[in-house]
Amino acid sequence: MKKLVVIVLAAFLVITFAGASFAAPKENIGCGLGYMAFKGKDGLLSQTAAATTNGTSSNQTFGITSGTLECDKPANFTANEKLNKFVADNMDNLAVDIARGQGEYLNTLAVLLEVPEGERALFYTKLQTHFSDIYTADTVTHVDVIKNIEIVVTSG
Amino acid sequence: MKKSSRRYGWLRKTISPLLFLLHFFVAFPLLAAQVQATDPPYLSTILELAKQKQLYKERYWHILLHYKKGLFGTRSLIDDEAFFLSREGKHNPEAELNATIRGFFQESDDETKHPVCKFIARYTWLKEQLNLDSSQLPVPECKRFTELIDQIKPESVSLIFPTTYVNSPASMFGHTLLIVETASKSKLLAYAINYSAVTQETFGPLFAIKGLFGYYKGYYSILPYYAKIQEYRDVNDRDIWEYPLNLEYEEVIRLLMHTYELNLIYSDYYFFDENCSYQLLFLLDAARPSLGLTDQFNLWVIPVDTVRAAKKSGLITGTFYRPSKSTKIKHIASLVPKAGRKKALSIVRGELKPEILLEQDIPKEEKIWICDLASEYLQYLYAKDEVTQQKYTNLFLSILQARSKLGAMDENEYHIRRPTPPDEGHLSNRLSLGFGIKEKDLFQEIQYRAAYHDLNDNDKGYKEGSQIIFGNVALRYYFPDSNLQLQGLDLIDIVSIAPRDEFFQNISWKVRTGWYRRVLADDRDHLLYRLNPGGGFAYEDRWKGLWYVFMETDLNLGPALEDNYAVGIGGSAGFIGKIADCWKLHLFVRDIYYGLGDTTNSLELALLQNFTITTNTSLTAKISRDLSHGSHQNEASLTFGWFF
Repeated sequence: MKKLVVIVLAAFLVITFAGASFAAPKENIGCGLGYMAFKGKDGLLSQTAAATTNGTSSNQTFGITSGTLECDKPANFTANEKLNKFVADNMDNLAVDIARGQGEYLNTLAVLLEVPEGERALFYTKLQTHFSDIYTADTVTHVDVIKNIEIVVTSG
Repeated sequence: MKKSSRRYGWLRKTISPLLFLLHFFVAFPLLAAQVQATDPPYLSTILELAKQKQLYKERYWHILLHYKKGLFGTRSLIDDEAFFLSREGKHNPEAELNATIRGFFQESDDETKHPVCKFIARYTWLKEQLNLDSSQLPVPECKRFTELIDQIKPESVSLIFPTTYVNSPASMFGHTLLIVETASKSKLLAYAINYSAVTQETFGPLFAIKGLFGYYKGYYSILPYYAKIQEYRDVNDRDIWEYPLNLEYEEVIRLLMHTYELNLIYSDYYFFDENCSYQLLFLLDAARPSLGLTDQFNLWVIPVDTVRAAKKSGLITGTFYRPSKSTKIKHIASLVPKAGRKKALSIVRGELKPEILLEQDIPKEEKIWICDLASEYLQYLYAKDEVTQQKYTNLFLSILQARSKLGAMDENEYHIRRPTPPDEGHLSNRLSLGFGIKEKDLFQEIQYRAAYHDLNDNDKGYKEGSQIIFGNVALRYYFPDSNLQLQGLDLIDIVSIAPRDEFFQNISWKVRTGWYRRVLADDRDHLLYRLNPGGGFAYEDRWKGLWYVFMETDLNLGPALEDNYAVGIGGSAGFIGKIADCWKLHLFVRDIYYGLGDTTNSLELALLQNFTITTNTSLTAKISRDLSHGSHQNEASLTFGWFF
């Protein structure tokens, strides 16, 4: 009986331990909020983490690659490909910064929109107060966000 | 041959020099006739000049081609045939040099595929060395590269070190990458250059094992730095360290040229030596050849050691700290009173609507903290896959909407004090000398550890509660009977003690395998092999002391055991605390009941105290008591440790 208990417990622990290594990545698609290239890939001993941790290799070209190449492009405002990609890839962190009226992602947005240094404080406040007009719904896409920022900025 | 050498990557390193010799004998008559009758006169002149100047012996040529001297002569660490213009290029720097020069004279329809473009760093260097008249070449310059530089507008380079990631075998020691910062001055938009193994392997331990033997191909890649930040800081939850380098503009361009050459070129990836951090050093050597960073490592390369090497060579000009998601959450949580933390949690659980929070009668500043804590924490949970995308986006937006009504705050409040940078922690190798007494026997012990940090070492520069040991061997000599014996050999001994709190429901775990000594029924200690995994919980008290408890299993094998094996189950519990910055204490008890094979109960009690003398020297005092097979053994020892 004692032996049996030991076997069962030992097997249980080994299985739990090994089981933890298979963390199945869940669905994670899109160009909107919640898109994270590496999400759900950090289970205990998960190798996906290992593979990505030492590198996001994808299709390596010398130009910048990103997870959102398949996303739509905005029609106007910006033929600014960099802005388009930046917003698409950082929808969530940019939302945080806009809501707080400060932060590295917001600064980078200002750089990409070529907002002069002296006007940035005002620009940040404006975006913050109009947060709900920019991130209008949880289905918002980066194209909408860029368009909405344009409207907020140009509306004086 | 190619296929099999790929399958048996570990054999490849040994066999390839022999192949090389074979190649050499076959190819020798061809080499002798380097200058062929059909060569245009200018090409002949240039080849002759290169020969005269013996350029193939030049250091820079060896850097660009990744040539290293091995046991069987020179070979390139690059394994991709596309990287060499000569068939013997991997082993023959001279043949490769001549083939490269010939390549520059090739006609081509597609400029971007011409050797002048594909091997822009080689071209630029050879052009200078040989005073090449580019107007005599079919493709005089690589326009594509010039365009790229115009687009990128590179200015400076930083070395990036995402810290230890214990939960992934390939990243346990951290990782390094380079970023090229541009005229935009926004670090997020910098270009991150990364070297990594490419694999679809989805089982961690297998990945680690295959990685040891060069099963995977490693590639250099470029991504926006913000993508790497998202990966390391937000998803893996690792702190990131940034070290700006003092590379001049021309050096940055050389670095980019060499990166361009390595586009889509693979090398077999070896976890220990030819790994991410080592391969990156070639780019720095290509930028500034006098560094010679790739010459400073032999058997294994630990990422933080490459940071140290860069620092030693005077490359590093500063240190920036980018805290992980959980570090940030803990910091904000530390500003908020308990009631506020509860509110943040209620918001994340969907029990408190953020708009309701706005109406509550608490200071505005506190509302800001609560919103920020809630949004950061929700992002953390989402990255860990603990909430669905739908629930996340919905709640995330409502928190941010509330936050946007609260205005800005003093940015300094979220400034997190920089801990000791990883390069300033103790070094990676350790040699220890100790003496002690076991029951009535005096002994001396010598210990060597290849890598890298244990629970009792000073935590400065390391993650608290983490232990990563590879290759730790201890030899003991008992007076007076002059028998030097193997006391233990830990192949792997990893412990991750991650405290739990209201925000983080961390699991602690450990795995230990190797040889150790245990007293058996004959009342003597015997060398046994063990495999000992465990999982458990830990908590941190208000004085930063760690309390932990593990459930463990232990498999022992050895001829001295009855039936040659023992399987046990049990647990351990302990406390690790700092009495002062330089004085650490670890008290633990461990009990394993071996119910199968050689049955017994084994109880161990120990108290360790570690005193830091200098960053790289320490003194450890240990007293322990073992109870096994009904008899006990007491031991006390004092050990001096030297990190190097």
